[in-house]
Amino acid sequence: MSEHRLTTPLTRDVTATLKLGDTVYLDGSFVATAGYPTHERLMRVIEQGEAPPIDLTGTAFFHMGSSSSGESDVRRINYVNPTTSTRFNAFMPTLIRHFGFCALGGKGGMDAACAEAIREAGAVYFSMIGGAAPLLTEGIERVVETGWDDLITQFRLTRFSAKGFGPLTVAIDAHGNSRYADLTDAAEAKLSDIKRWLAEGRGA
Amino acid sequence: MAITYDLVRSVTRNLYEWSLKRIPEDSKAALRAAMADETEDTSRQALGFMLKAAEKAEQDDTFMCSDSGVPTYAVKIGTNVTFDGDIKQAIKDGFADLVETIQPPILKFVTNPLTGERSYHGKEMPLVTWDMESGADWLDITCAPSALGAGRWSALEIFSYPTLDQIEGWIMDMVVRAGSQTCPPVHVGIGIGGTIDVAAKMAKAQTLRPFGSANPEPILADMEARLLEAVNRTGFGPMGTGGRTTALGVHIDYASGHGYTPVAIYFNCWINRRTRARLHESGEVERLE
Repeated sequence: MSEHRLTTPLTRDVTATLKLGDTVYLDGSFVATAGYPTHERLMRVIEQGEAPPIDLTGTAFFHMGSSSSGESDVRRINYVNPTTSTRFNAFMPTLIRHFGFCALGGKGGMDAACAEAIREAGAVYFSMIGGAAPLLTEGIERVVETGWDDLITQFRLTRFSAKGFGPLTVAIDAHGNSRYADLTDAAEAKLSDIKRWLAEGRGA
Repeated sequence: MAITYDLVRSVTRNLYEWSLKRIPEDSKAALRAAMADETEDTSRQALGFMLKAAEKAEQDDTFMCSDSGVPTYAVKIGTNVTFDGDIKQAIKDGFADLVETIQPPILKFVTNPLTGERSYHGKEMPLVTWDMESGADWLDITCAPSALGAGRWSALEIFSYPTLDQIEGWIMDMVVRAGSQTCPPVHVGIGIGGTIDVAAKMAKAQTLRPFGSANPEPILADMEARLLEAVNRTGFGPMGTGGRTTALGVHIDYASGHGYTPVAIYFNCWINRRTRARLHESGEVERLE
């Protein structure tokens, strides 16, 4: 496992070298949302051949909630924090292929269909530590732009500029390997042994 | 003297704010102990990052997590207490005060399940459980607003005349189903028996027990120790980094019931939000957690 300081957008050459468990700190920018309705809107935009309010082509796209205060050009970041990506499993393969995201991120991972789309796009999925907002927020410089401002704050599309945003852990790599699938497979394989151990140890 | 509307309003407001900006002391101790036991470097680093984040939240007077949950209180009323004013309304108004005054602001999480609409208020909010304590002359309030990440993996099953093997097996199935999506290391609460509402309430209440507190029922004390070890053998680890720290505690309660047995499981994430105060008729507020 190694540590990397990378700048978005990430090229395929860069993502191809990242391995599961590597730690990454990001510079550049990324777009984030925590909204289910936002994903539904993105799907409609694609179906209708339209464009979303901010350009998502090739961007890093993170499942993350955020709060900021002030007017749009001088917004002060209050906090950012990842949300569970599996909630968006149904949408993500389409969105990854359509927009060609260079990186995904959030917490809790994504399913096999998403991992396949990530592999095709040559992207990676970064896992963040949830509930560590005070440290994660230090890596955010400012809000660059927002889209779909009629939605509640954490559902809007928000582009942030980042400086040393992290630590992010590579949890799905550009070759289709998934830390989540590995851990779940390992746990399921151990489950009957664990249950036997539980039963044998009762009252011992 | 009586416990007043104003006192309950301000205490419930403050308990919520405190719960967002720190983690309980027993959580800090449990995370430190887990760090010492953790076998994987990445997992140990994740635990260290969590403790550092907790320290910074207290220093900077800011939130641990962007998901501030929904207002959730467990209230225990001493049977000798007298009230001055509408205590139920005081908790509602305390949350409204919080929304208006807290810095940084909280996001909208109160969700109407029929329309999907999100706001700062809604039917049955705040969510409050009411219990009585015989002979006591205080009002005890715990605030534990858990977030979506862990909360959505709660589960309940109804068994007919189950064995302990079946119950423990189902608990493990639910732990593996949740995987690392609950923001581990988690606090697992289990309720066994009663009716579905009682089992669910017990499961949530068990996540309010401090880590390291002993279960007075020997069968449950034994179950808690074995299940904690079993959960940690699954290998999901802190935030899915692998390693052995998937849970910091498994706490269980039971109630008598009929032959059928509901079993409920409730997960709380590693920040384990919990603050608690005891209000006395003199107006004294005893901060317990």
